[in-house]
Amino acid sequence: MSFEMWAEKYRPKTLGDMVNQKEIVERLKSFARSRNVPHCIFAGPPGTGKTTAALCLARDLYGDAYRGHIMELNASDARGINVVRETVKTFARVRSIGEIPFKIMVLDEADNMTSDAQQALRRTMERYTETCRFILIANYSGKIIEPIQSRCAPFRFTYLPREEQDRYLRLIAEKEELSLLDEGLDAVFEVCSGDLRRAINNLQAAASLNKPIDAKVIYSIAGRANPADVRKMIETTMNGNFLEARKQLRDMIRKYGVAGSDIIRQIHTEIFRGNLPEQWKIKLADVVGEIDYRLVEGADEEVQLSALLARLVEAGYELGKAK
Amino acid sequence: MYAAWVYKHKPKSLKRVVGNREAIQKFVDWVKSWEKGVPKKRVAFLYGPPGIGKTVTVEALANDFHMELVEKNASDYRTEEAVKRFAGLASQYGSLFGGKRIVLLDELDGLTGTADRGGVRAITEIVKTAQCPVVLIANNAYNPRFSNLRKYCLLIEFKKPPTSEVMKHLNRICLREAIQVDEDALKFIAQRSVGDVRSAVNDLQALTQGKKRITYEDVSWLGYRDRQEKIFTVLKMIIYGKTCVGAKRAVDMADVDIDMLFEWIYENVPAHLTDPHDLARAVDALSIADVYRGRIRSTQNWSFTRYVIDYMTAGVAMARQNTKVHGWIPFKFPGRIRMLSRSKAERAMQLKIGHKIKRKCHISAVRASKEVLPYLRIIFKNNVDMAVGLAKWLDLEPEMIEYVAGTKKKAGAITQLLG
Repeated sequence: MSFEMWAEKYRPKTLGDMVNQKEIVERLKSFARSRNVPHCIFAGPPGTGKTTAALCLARDLYGDAYRGHIMELNASDARGINVVRETVKTFARVRSIGEIPFKIMVLDEADNMTSDAQQALRRTMERYTETCRFILIANYSGKIIEPIQSRCAPFRFTYLPREEQDRYLRLIAEKEELSLLDEGLDAVFEVCSGDLRRAINNLQAAASLNKPIDAKVIYSIAGRANPADVRKMIETTMNGNFLEARKQLRDMIRKYGVAGSDIIRQIHTEIFRGNLPEQWKIKLADVVGEIDYRLVEGADEEVQLSALLARLVEAGYELGKAK
Repeated sequence: MYAAWVYKHKPKSLKRVVGNREAIQKFVDWVKSWEKGVPKKRVAFLYGPPGIGKTVTVEALANDFHMELVEKNASDYRTEEAVKRFAGLASQYGSLFGGKRIVLLDELDGLTGTADRGGVRAITEIVKTAQCPVVLIANNAYNPRFSNLRKYCLLIEFKKPPTSEVMKHLNRICLREAIQVDEDALKFIAQRSVGDVRSAVNDLQALTQGKKRITYEDVSWLGYRDRQEKIFTVLKMIIYGKTCVGAKRAVDMADVDIDMLFEWIYENVPAHLTDPHDLARAVDALSIADVYRGRIRSTQNWSFTRYVIDYMTAGVAMARQNTKVHGWIPFKFPGRIRMLSRSKAERAMQLKIGHKIKRKCHISAVRASKEVLPYLRIIFKNNVDMAVGLAKWLDLEPEMIEYVAGTKKKAGAITQLLG
């Protein structure tokens, strides 16, 4: 077993290595062949290969010395206008040495940039197009201002399909000499549903237990990484305890960093799985969709989700009355 | 005898002034430069937010340097005439009794309107010809009214001291008053004051009346004691309001800002609205208010604030259709705010580790601290070899290893193998 983060160790190096997002990868390969890249937006959920695609493209373009031609900046660590003014501009305006006349600036988590910073970025993008191409990476492209969107080629990344996630995890298991059972794979998909980074992190943490990786191991790992689980929270609402459910929600978001979009997704699954009256399911789906949209717009995760929890409490109450 | 602690424990020496070391040094250097004759800038203009020790600094300096302090504040120099009368004082360095003199014009912000314009002009005159150190103090030196005056002044900015400095000061007072205050309670007071030392000291005094020991619980409640009654009334007006207008009016009574009021309402609505339909409607109204907050952020159009207010007050009031007004249910301090101040140190540590992960993993420090750290914890707990490898690979420092491992023992085993 090796002692790095596997998500990093097994990150594909070239576009050819990338297993998923086939159409996107084909388009990027054609950029690499023609040695020209437009400004791009890579949008999609976490763990679907956005950053990897950007790094692979750079390596295919510039070869192994790609580090000198690319800069990665993470908007959630430095998202102010000054960063755009100084760091980005300084990098963007200096011409690249070599055959390809432009450099690549990767702005990760660009949807976390303030709108002021985005405005500043827009001008920088225009002014230094000759010397620098931008790849903006975001979970929600809707949080990127319209003028920037219209200057970029959009690429929409989607969650990995089951078989691709499995293939990747099997490959790692083989290289690391793990015993990974089929039910373990089932469980990883259930827990991570196509977020490959999380799936690999789960696998690595499971491997640290030094025993065959079955469903139980995976669930216990996932449970310990996010101790308050969504199913339990929904049960709490159904029993009419809003305050306790809100506390669980708060812990999930604040303490364990579970993404609001992730919680929403799980609630959505649970609603249709559970034994609510059929009419309620579709009524609640509408609420879930609305809340999901608000989160994309940038509303407060806890406040929005607790509005959904209150609806669930209401549903549980009606259900109890009917019985 | 009851004495206000802000006066009783006012720093008598520069050594004791909270924070602002740089600004103080700059100020001291300037005062010392008078020994070698009149310097180029005859006036020092100290500026910065209220309660952070500008006046105290001047007083402490006068004390340390045995200078005679001539102090005037806004009300003393509202007009040109008043200032001129006062001007003579600044005309000589030495005072009648042989000591050195320093002149302080405090609260310059107090000069407002056209009536005072002569006052600023007269001060500008003094400033040009002063024969002894003259110090001006205002919150905002960049007020256009001072633009002419500013040219003749050495500008010295005072900043809000960090929480740790404020805490040190509070601690000293606790020692001298022989009271025992838990550290997180003290931290809460310091943080709540956001750098305003004066208000922090006032709060401390208000909180400790008659007590010898103060815990965090006392503070989180009583921290709002003066405001508590007010906020309770406000919350009652909103949650049990019968008319939209009545509920909306509550906002004017609240002396917290809109976001804080939102937190108070959001925290307390569920305990009061026991009917599930009422509760769902109320939380829904709050969620719409929140949507408008988001719209304000993205459009920077602050006039949308009125809709935020509509939904968080009238929206909540109108939600109550079935719940009766019931007996006394206490209002609670917003939990999300408390969580924020309590786990600050922990979040800082997580972020530090996040930065280490970021260097290796092409992921932001914030995200790494939330998404990768939990898995590291599991690995560090279960597998020392793997932990050692990862600690090395990520270049984690001992304190980080201890945090990830959770226990000193585990961390010890890992560090030992690291060599």
